[in-house]
Amino acid sequence: MIHLQEPPDQKARTIVEFCRFAREKGLSAGVQETLGALQAAMILGVNNTEDLKLGLRSTLCASKDEWDLFEECFQMFWSGAEFAPPSSRKARGKNARSAGMGSRDSAPLMPTGSSDHDSSGKDRALAVSGASAQERLTKADVSTLPHNDMAMLEQIALRLFKQMSRRLQRRRRIGTSRGQVDLRRTIRRSISRGGEPINLRYREKKLRPHRLVTLLDISGSMSPYSLFLVKFLYALQKHFQRADTFLFSTNLVEITNLLRAQRLPQALQALSQQPAGWSGGTNIGGSLREFNQHYTRKLRSSDTLFVILSDGWDTGEPSALATELGAVKRSVRKLIWLNPLLGLQDYQPITIGMSAALPHIDVFAPAHNLESLLALEKHL
Amino acid sequence: MGKVPTSPPDAASQGVDAIISGFERLGYIADRSLATALYLVTQLRKPILVEGHAGLGKTEVAKVLAAFLGARLIRLQCYEGLDVSSAVYEWNYQKQLLAIKIEEGSDKTVEEKEKHIFSPEFLLERPLLQSILVEDASPVLLIDEIDRADEAFEAFLLELLSDYQITIPEMGTIHAKHVPYVVLTSNRSRELGDALKRRCLYQWIDYPSVEKEMKIVRTRLPHIEQELAQQVVGYVQSVRGLNLRKPPGIAETLDSAEALLALGTLRLDEEAIEQTLGCISKSVEDSARIKAAGGRPTR
Repeated sequence: MIHLQEPPDQKARTIVEFCRFAREKGLSAGVQETLGALQAAMILGVNNTEDLKLGLRSTLCASKDEWDLFEECFQMFWSGAEFAPPSSRKARGKNARSAGMGSRDSAPLMPTGSSDHDSSGKDRALAVSGASAQERLTKADVSTLPHNDMAMLEQIALRLFKQMSRRLQRRRRIGTSRGQVDLRRTIRRSISRGGEPINLRYREKKLRPHRLVTLLDISGSMSPYSLFLVKFLYALQKHFQRADTFLFSTNLVEITNLLRAQRLPQALQALSQQPAGWSGGTNIGGSLREFNQHYTRKLRSSDTLFVILSDGWDTGEPSALATELGAVKRSVRKLIWLNPLLGLQDYQPITIGMSAALPHIDVFAPAHNLESLLALEKHL
Repeated sequence: MGKVPTSPPDAASQGVDAIISGFERLGYIADRSLATALYLVTQLRKPILVEGHAGLGKTEVAKVLAAFLGARLIRLQCYEGLDVSSAVYEWNYQKQLLAIKIEEGSDKTVEEKEKHIFSPEFLLERPLLQSILVEDASPVLLIDEIDRADEAFEAFLLELLSDYQITIPEMGTIHAKHVPYVVLTSNRSRELGDALKRRCLYQWIDYPSVEKEMKIVRTRLPHIEQELAQQVVGYVQSVRGLNLRKPPGIAETLDSAEALLALGTLRLDEEAIEQTLGCISKSVEDSARIKAAGGRPTR
C-alpha cells in the first residue's frame, strides 16, 4: 500500500479532502482515484499549484464533462467558496452537454395522455371491433384511450414487448450457420493423423444483432403518444446491446444511459427532468443536423437501423430536413419512420415536412397502437 | 500497488519541462497539461486515455512519446469486430501443417509433436503480445480508437492492463518483462466502460488557441512565411466557428498550409481558399457552408 511520509500528513489530508469535495460536486473520485491523486501529488509536489492542478485533473477525471467540471471544483476548493446547491450541482455534471446546447425549462412531468381527448376518444376506442379486451386494446389508438384502459394496455404492452425481444434473440440463434474452418482446432485434432485434416472443425460465425439508433419526437403534437413510445423504447433498448436512444423537439438529447442505467419508473422520473422541451415545438431538420454533427460515428452503414418516431409536423425548413435525412440514409442500413398519424384512416403524408422526408425512407409505418409497434419486429 | 517512487517537487517540475521541450524538439507542441499527464504516466506507470476530436494529434502523442523515451512504438488500431487473433496472437497454421508432415516418420509421441507445434516458433505475435514480450526496455503501446472496438474487447483489455500478462491455452501464461507505457485514444463515439476509464489517467485535447496553432504551424513548416501562416491559422480558426459537420483539426490546418506552400501562394486570397478548400472540408455540405459564409480570412 501507500507510504505517506511525503507529502506531510496535513497536505495529504488536504488532497483527500479535495477528492471528497470533488466527489460531492459530481466527479467520480472514488477511493482508487483518491489514491491516484495522492500518488500524483507526491510526485508533482504540493507546492507547485499549477502542476498539481493539472496532475490532479488527469487523475480524477474520466470524461470530457468531468474535465470541464474540474476547473470549477479546484477554484472553489482552494478559494474556500461555498458549495453550490445540490440540484444545480447534479445538473451541471450530468447535463453539461445538453445544457450547453441551449437549455430550457423542462416541464415538471411527462404528459400522460391528454385529458381533453377522453370523452370523444372513448367512443372511438370502444368502436374498434374485436372479441377480447386484449385484442381491442392492442388495436386501439393510444391517444384516444381512456385512462383506466391505459393501465391495462401498459401491462399487456410490456408483456408483448418482452416476448418480441425474446423472439428476436431466438431467431438469430437458430439462423446461425456453419462458419469458417477453425484451423486452430482442426490442426490440433489432426496431429495424430499425420496432419491430415480429416475432421474439419468450424468456428461459428458470431452473429450480432443490429445496431439500433432511435429518435423520438416529444413535441406538443406527439404528446398523446410520447409516454407510451418511451416505454416501448425502454423495452427495445433492454434487448439491443448496441442501442442509442435520443429525444428531440427543437433540440436533441441523448437518453441512452438514462434508460440503460435504471428501472422503468426511475428512468421515466429522470427523463421528465431532462431539458429536452417536452411538448414544445418541433424542428426535425435541426435535430437531425445536431445528430449528424455529433453522433455520426454511431452509424455503421452495414448494420445500423435508424428509427424515427415522429408525426412529421415540422416548423423547420423542409429542404433542411431532406438534406439531413439524406445524409443519415447514406450511412445506415435501413431508415424506418414510424408515424402515429398513419393510423388515422384518412391520413395522407402531405405535411411539407413529411413529403420532403418520404423519398429517403425505407419503411414508413404507423405507430399509433400496440399492434403497429409489434409489427416493427419484422423489420428489426 | 508498490511503493510509490517519490521525487522532490523540483525534479517533477523539471520533468514536466523536459517533456515540453523534448516534444517541441520532435515537432510536437504539448501544453503543460498534457506534459504533466505524460510525466505522471512515466512515473506512475498508469495507462493514459487521450480523448478529443479527430485531427488534433491524439495518435501523435504516443508516437512522439516513444521517440522521446527512445522506446519502441507498438500500435494496435481498433475497429469493430477486432478479435483476439488479430490483436493478441495467432498460430502459424501453414507452418504447423508442414511441421506435422515432416515429423510424420519420426518416432515422437503425439504429445511431443503437439508440444512442438504449439511452441513459440509457431506463434505469430500480434501487437498486444508483442508489447509484453519486448526484451530490452518498456515499449510504448498505442491502442488507437479504442471506442471502435466492442465491449468484449474492452473487457479483455482491462485484464491485460491490470496484470500485464496474457494466457495462451497451449503454452501457459506470459508475464510482461517490462510493463509498457500505454496510450489509449478515443474519439468518444461511444462511452467507454467505467472500469477501463478508472484505470487510466485522462487527458482531453481541445482545439488549439491561435497562439498554439501558430506555434505548431511554424514548428512543422519552418519555411512558411509568418504572414501566410497567420492568415491560414486565422482562417481555419474562423471556419471552426461555422458549426460544421466536421470542423477542421490541426491536421487540416497543416494540410492546407502545406498545399499553399506547394502552390507557391504568398497570400491567402479568395482564389487560394477555393483551391485548398478540399484540405479543410471533407464533405459537400461543409464545403457549401464554408462558401456560403464568404470564406474570407478574418485575421
